[in-house]
Amino acid sequence: MTDTTTPVIIAIDRRVTLKWLMGAMAVGQLAACGDQAKGLSWPELEAIKAAGIGKDPDFTNLAAPWPLTLTAAQLEATAELVDIILPGEGDIPAPSKVGVPAFINEWVSAPYPDQHKDRVLIINGLAWLDEESKVRNGVPFVRAEVRAQAAILDDIAFKDRVKEGLEKPAEFFGRMRSLTLGAFYTTREGWADIGYMGNTPGTGDYAGPTPEAAAHIKGVIEAMGLKYTPA
Amino acid sequence: MTPDDPHDAVVVGSGAGGAMAAWMLTKSGASVLMLEAGRDYSPDESPMLNMAMEAPLRGVGTPDKEFGYFDATVDGGWQMPGEPYTQAEGSEFLWWRSRMLGGRTNHWARNSFRMGEYDFKPKTRDGLGVDWPFEYKDIEPWYDRTEKLVGVYGSNDGLENHPNSGPGVLQTPPKFRVWETFLKAGGDAINVPVVAARRAVLTKKIDERSPCYWASGCGRGCSIGAAFQTTTSLIPWAKKTGKLTIATDAMVYEVLLDSSGKATGVRYIDKATGTHKEAKGRVVVLAASTGETARILLNSQVAGRSEGLANSSGQVGRNLMDTVGSNMSAYFPQLEGRPRYNEDGAMGLHAYIPFWDYKRIQSGEVDTPRGYHVEIGGSFGDPGMGAGSGLDGYGSSLRSDVKRRYGARIGFTQRGEMIPNANSFCSIDTNTKDKFGIPVLKFNFAWSDHELKQVTHFQNAMKELIDKLGGTLVSEPADPAKAISKGGEIIHEVGTARMGADAKDSVTNQFGKTWDVDNLYITDGSVFASKAHKNPTITIMAIAMRSSDNIATRLRTGEL
Repeated sequence: MTDTTTPVIIAIDRRVTLKWLMGAMAVGQLAACGDQAKGLSWPELEAIKAAGIGKDPDFTNLAAPWPLTLTAAQLEATAELVDIILPGEGDIPAPSKVGVPAFINEWVSAPYPDQHKDRVLIINGLAWLDEESKVRNGVPFVRAEVRAQAAILDDIAFKDRVKEGLEKPAEFFGRMRSLTLGAFYTTREGWADIGYMGNTPGTGDYAGPTPEAAAHIKGVIEAMGLKYTPA
Repeated sequence: MTPDDPHDAVVVGSGAGGAMAAWMLTKSGASVLMLEAGRDYSPDESPMLNMAMEAPLRGVGTPDKEFGYFDATVDGGWQMPGEPYTQAEGSEFLWWRSRMLGGRTNHWARNSFRMGEYDFKPKTRDGLGVDWPFEYKDIEPWYDRTEKLVGVYGSNDGLENHPNSGPGVLQTPPKFRVWETFLKAGGDAINVPVVAARRAVLTKKIDERSPCYWASGCGRGCSIGAAFQTTTSLIPWAKKTGKLTIATDAMVYEVLLDSSGKATGVRYIDKATGTHKEAKGRVVVLAASTGETARILLNSQVAGRSEGLANSSGQVGRNLMDTVGSNMSAYFPQLEGRPRYNEDGAMGLHAYIPFWDYKRIQSGEVDTPRGYHVEIGGSFGDPGMGAGSGLDGYGSSLRSDVKRRYGARIGFTQRGEMIPNANSFCSIDTNTKDKFGIPVLKFNFAWSDHELKQVTHFQNAMKELIDKLGGTLVSEPADPAKAISKGGEIIHEVGTARMGADAKDSVTNQFGKTWDVDNLYITDGSVFASKAHKNPTITIMAIAMRSSDNIATRLRTGEL
């Protein structure tokens, strides 16, 4: 872990935070703040310089070669957030139970441009979440009550009703949602939840739709006044 | 034999064109040295059933592995360290290289659509571009032989300019999946055909190759041999004749000539030692890829001439074409929550939309001269990192949205014909060399109005189809100039050493023999005189087979 992964945070009161963020967004830049910048910034972070997977990776050793960079506190906040995004339900495990936080750590620690953009968004976003929670509730996000957490997320989680001035946190939340869903639904547990039944070698001809699936689409097509001709 | 021994033929490249030449020639008794710029590769390396979650970053594309971690391409991609290419100001062109035995056949989509009679005589039909030096009926038997050898599934639908294959040639296509049947119902209602796709994927066993087992993305490479690639077929077959010598990590940069102007072999860099070596043969066959073959010709020194080798016509590097590409995507509420089953199938097209509007082009009602086909994608696939796209909110409602929308989105991908134009070509960049010291290619590329109008036709036609099926566009299609792919992006680049009937405006004759050098042949996509909308690989192989038959005959008779 390196110091460059720790965001610059200066705790101040909520009005100043929002004012600063809106100002930064208005001028289209979220430059690193100095001592005088009395606010929580979304600073650019230094790009990670680690070995990537290369042009000819060894498929017998599939582990990502770069070091992981999230702090314990950032990982804890990540786990909290991904489980709120997609809570476990019945037999379906919560994302934190199937390695999603570790995946996000691997993702934001990768030495590639796309992942670097997400790293800036996520590290700053997690810091914002804590700061916002401290302002509203007096405690970091992970220590806040469920209802208090929801109150914050409701301001950033729905694209048609993002609270004015919170566009950047909303962008952060959108990426976290994408990464969470992508990471969860590529696990065996995720496959079972969504109903993906492939990656299973079979013999003979491709089986095609089950009788139930075929009957269903026949009904759909005919209800639209169209002709059903399976091939 | 070793690479240092003289062979009957020196073949540069191990992809579709090179491997076909090597197999045809060794089969006829000729000794062949195959030179491949990349490393040795076997599809036994293919990560057939690995889950995305086992790969770094869930296997998404990175600058190292642009098509994803498990893509078969090694030591290649859009950019390769130390092996740049450059672009003229204002041009954007992407060049995908695969430096490995088997080249790009290790990861291609296996889509195998035959060119038809219109496609070989485009100038005769609309006055644009040039005609090929032969007609469809001349190549038809070679398509049959190639498809039978390769193993192609599909159906004979008797559609205009989409020729049937001969009896017993095609393998049975896999059944349509639910969403494909749904699209067909919409297409039938508005006279847009949705028919079985043609792909080089076995549905029945041939020789030692197994049929598809209905899993594993074909782009990973296919260790069971179901998805065609030269490393499980032509190359091992040619090896079995005992007549093939392969040198990998052999970067060819020049064709050698004797004082009479005959080719005597090629010069290459042995990457393992960094030494420059010569390979000798009675005939030289270039199949290094459309870009690399042009580069070798243009970089070859010919005494008393400045334009490179086999370029008295000035056409080497010119007429660079790629497929027209653009995409649309729609969400279909009618497909929401449909019953689950395994839709992996052949891991690619079971159905597609062949071009259907030829009559209205002929009558002038359609203002784009050439056609396209539409590749369609939907399915209950591995959700992948895109599982959350288009979703909103969080919590249990998010979970139900994910599940409701799964398998209800269909993507439409245009693959269209480009007409050659004077602004699209490659040449040698005299200011830039690669890490081997070889001058690199510089690309000029521009679409013309013909291609942009074709994008508009595609957008309007798909809107009508989507509308008929009650779908909603994920986003309004962009203006054609923005929606169209970058040059090279579809990886169908062809045309830089086109064949023709006249030495004055073409590089080779109808058998890929260069007009200027009697024993120098080309069997890759560079010989294409036009770029039909059909994916080029099956045609590269059919032409390579026909040309190699010509070479084999001339070797046998002592003409070469």
